Amino acid sequence: MNKICKFFLKLFGILFVVNAALFAVFFFDLDGKLLFNVVEPFLKKHYDNMDRKDTLKAPYEIDKFPKYDFNS
Amino acid sequence: MKDLKHLIYFENLLQEANNELVQQAKKDGLRAIGYTCYFMPEVLLDLPGCFSVRLRAPRCTSPDIATYYMSARVCHYARSLMERALEGGFNFLDAQMATETCTATCRFQEHLQQKHLDSVDDMRIIDNDDFFCEFSDVPFKNNEISYEHYATQLRAHVLQPLHDHFGIDISDEAIRKAVEQQNEVSRLINEIGDYRKLDNPTITGYEFHVIQLCSLVCPKYLILPYLRETAEEMKTREPDMKKEFRCKVVLAGSENDDPDFTKLVESCGARVVVDRYCYGAVESRQIIDLPDGVDPVYAIAKHYLHSSNCPRFMPQDEMRARKKRIAELAKEYHADGVIIASNKFCEYWSYERVIDTVILKRDFGLPVCSIEKEYINTASGQLRTRFQAFVESVEIKKIQEGK
Amino acid sequence: MAKKSVSKALRDFWYGKPHTAEEGGRRLGELHEDKTHLYKHREWRGVADTMYYFYNIWLYNYIFMVKDIMVMHGPITFAKGLWRYRWVGQTYLPVLHWFDRGLEGMRGEAMKASAWHYRAMVSTTIRQFQRMFAADTRLHGGKQNELYKHTIAHNETVWGGVFYPWDGEITNVPLEMIPYFVTCHVNSHTVLNYIDAVQSIGLPGDPCPMCQAESGIFVLDDVPDYAPAVITCNEACDASVSTSTLQDWFFDKPLFSLPMPMLFDDPLVKKYVMREIEELWKFVEQQYGIPFSWEKLTKKLELQNELQRFEWEKWEVAAKSDYYPINGVAQALYRIYQTQYGDWEIWHVTDKKVRKILEKCVSKKINSFPQTRHRVIAWSCAPLYYSNWCTWAYNCWGLNVIINMDSLMFDMEIRTDSYEHTLEDMAQYHMWAPMRRMAVGGMHHMFELWDYMKRFNCDMVAMYDQLQCKGVQGLHGLFEDEFRKRDIKAFWIPHALPDSRTVSRAEIRRLINDYMSTVMHEEPLDPSLLDFDDSMTW
Repeated sequence: MNKICKFFLKLFGILFVVNAALFAVFFFDLDGKLLFNVVEPFLKKHYDNMDRKDTLKAPYEIDKFPKYDFNS
Repeated sequence: MKDLKHLIYFENLLQEANNELVQQAKKDGLRAIGYTCYFMPEVLLDLPGCFSVRLRAPRCTSPDIATYYMSARVCHYARSLMERALEGGFNFLDAQMATETCTATCRFQEHLQQKHLDSVDDMRIIDNDDFFCEFSDVPFKNNEISYEHYATQLRAHVLQPLHDHFGIDISDEAIRKAVEQQNEVSRLINEIGDYRKLDNPTITGYEFHVIQLCSLVCPKYLILPYLRETAEEMKTREPDMKKEFRCKVVLAGSENDDPDFTKLVESCGARVVVDRYCYGAVESRQIIDLPDGVDPVYAIAKHYLHSSNCPRFMPQDEMRARKKRIAELAKEYHADGVIIASNKFCEYWSYERVIDTVILKRDFGLPVCSIEKEYINTASGQLRTRFQAFVESVEIKKIQEGK
Repeated sequence: MAKKSVSKALRDFWYGKPHTAEEGGRRLGELHEDKTHLYKHREWRGVADTMYYFYNIWLYNYIFMVKDIMVMHGPITFAKGLWRYRWVGQTYLPVLHWFDRGLEGMRGEAMKASAWHYRAMVSTTIRQFQRMFAADTRLHGGKQNELYKHTIAHNETVWGGVFYPWDGEITNVPLEMIPYFVTCHVNSHTVLNYIDAVQSIGLPGDPCPMCQAESGIFVLDDVPDYAPAVITCNEACDASVSTSTLQDWFFDKPLFSLPMPMLFDDPLVKKYVMREIEELWKFVEQQYGIPFSWEKLTKKLELQNELQRFEWEKWEVAAKSDYYPINGVAQALYRIYQTQYGDWEIWHVTDKKVRKILEKCVSKKINSFPQTRHRVIAWSCAPLYYSNWCTWAYNCWGLNVIINMDSLMFDMEIRTDSYEHTLEDMAQYHMWAPMRRMAVGGMHHMFELWDYMKRFNCDMVAMYDQLQCKGVQGLHGLFEDEFRKRDIKAFWIPHALPDSRTVSRAEIRRLINDYMSTVMHEEPLDPSLLDFDDSMTW
């Protein structure tokens, strides 16, 4: 019984700490601040430096596709 | 070259929408039917008893009141039409046959329309008790369903209202007669225009532009004699000894009813040999094929959808074929390059110009000059510089290719 | 004195600070960090509402976003997509801040109901992009997998309902809704890359920026290759027609265009659209080899009709009472998303939850917006980068946006009693799409504003002024004339749809502030919201 109580107390304690931590993240907008100041700039740098194909070189075959006219 | 006999007369006709010939036709008891778009078949507005007038607003440089109504951020052409209408310049019209084909001109025509609603006051812009404005729906496709739909629209929203309001004869016979007249105009315009295919054309792009415009804005039956004479005159017209141009160009793009723009291009050393723009002859002067026994309205609907190269068409094959068409025209008329001119705020041609500029150059080997212009452009030093540079680059290319 | 302040502090702790300009009012503007609009700390809304927001909105949505990703093709798929496509990483990670901006200052039932709408949109967004990534040949070594072969791409202006006959066999995913439309609301900076990209290849700056961005995502090679065929459609304008010219070039797949006529009042036009929809169905059958199913179509339409009927109930409550518990931005975005995308399970789940809240508010006469000074109808197309302007407007001035123009489109049920009736109604429905329903087919549609003002008992108009929308610009003067003639309290909100650079949020607020103080002679409810710098905000 003691062991069970201790287990539940421990569990409750962990949950309380996790809850409090999450609440702190929520209340002080730490998620937003992390995303804005760290994650987004990192990702933007990655996107800006990505190799991208030159879309102006994309082929344009004039007669590649038929006329989609199912009533003719 | 020797001046064309009627050129000054034609130029004068273009100074006002309500020109001498329009006034003559009104005196003859005919009804003046205005329109703005190729998708309003002019042939149906030239039935016995009425005549078509494709609207322009010559010399309109400050559409101030129209800008209040339509804001400064829409096409200057539409605003100029609105301004001219507000000034009373279109009071001679008995009807406006409208299409919702381009947003800005559609809004202009909606302003003209007497709607008799509680929700918004009519402005009574056209001071004419008989005046009405009717809209037709135009398909975005060139297929069988669209031909049928378009024909239905033309019967319901063009022919029937003309008949109901003005007693216009809308029988098949009357339509065929109008087609005959239209085809004669087209044949003459094409005949005149074919001289641009010569190595040393005996007609300038400016002259052709003026003549083509007159055929759009004047009653056909009154302009025909002049066209016939001009065609006859062209048979013996001698070109200049020395070519007055350094390259030939296709002029493609948005609405262009300003011959001074063509003059500007040609003053920079180019000769405009093809007019692939709204108000141009490439589309509007194709012969309408009307075999016996065929419903003429259906045939006309099919013709106008089939012959148009408007960037409004959305099917994939149509979108791609448009680029090929410009290249084919360049080949047919021995053009050295293409000028794509979109009007400021013309969304259709803004996009079309982007892709044409790349594809025509990359895939068809055609030099392209891509510009944006206003409705009236005579004073544009910037454009002059662009055209001069383009002409030089085309010349250099020709030299390098040994032409 | 000390007793009073302790008592006030306890009251504020329990209930949250009051929404008033008086001393001790909530001062929401002071919560923002300068420029970024991040929060020094999130709003304390009182114990109950703060706990609700924390557990049932913030935590709930984070957990369920992860769950959605896990269930819908997994985290590896998501990670690949995030690494490859800018619009994911730059936009969708800070999505909870989108909630924050839209729900700022809200309490009680309105906060709960509005948040459910946001949740539904988030879930559907995840579903769509996960499907895109799972089918994307770029993320699968160029291979066209089974998902690819059972996905169809289409312009966001194609109503998802046209694909109902293939429900469960072909998944439709709009090309631009997730890479473009939704990003504008969540992070307004992402879209600027696409607008700049298309202008860099020569497109002038004046066409509708929505259409610019729809082309620009292709120019920047930022569209997954997730389907073997595409359906295009026009919207209300010329640019929406022209966009497909560029899209076709870059996408380079079999393309069927389903353009909608503008003159939709004309009964002759409906027959044409019916036949075009049938052509579309034949195209889909041809491309995918899966036959059309009438049973699937009618089943989905009937489900959709349920959603429409509930929407009408909501409108009744909004129009005739003060008990409508959904704020302007949630109403507008949910409606447009749900109706344009088509029927999906999450909408029904959401509506069930919202119905409970709505019924509670009506039966207990709960006024979710007690500081309403003016009932506002928002007309024309809204600024996507500042869709939550109405949240700010309520908090600062008591302007309650009851309904908006785009919510009022698709305003019909679709009959399922016969093929002919169904097709007729589908044709009408498709023509009545966002913007099209009011902006085209005759200016009298735009001037239906007066009828809707009356119907929804609104005393003020927020007139959106999309500077690059030629159709609405073409009526500017007439609206001015009519507002004056009818003595209607109306203010203009100029904007450039997704492009926040043309008219900033601060400028929009300034214009509204000027109107409310100089014309209406009113004092703000929350002076801290009058002037602040959010130039860098998402």
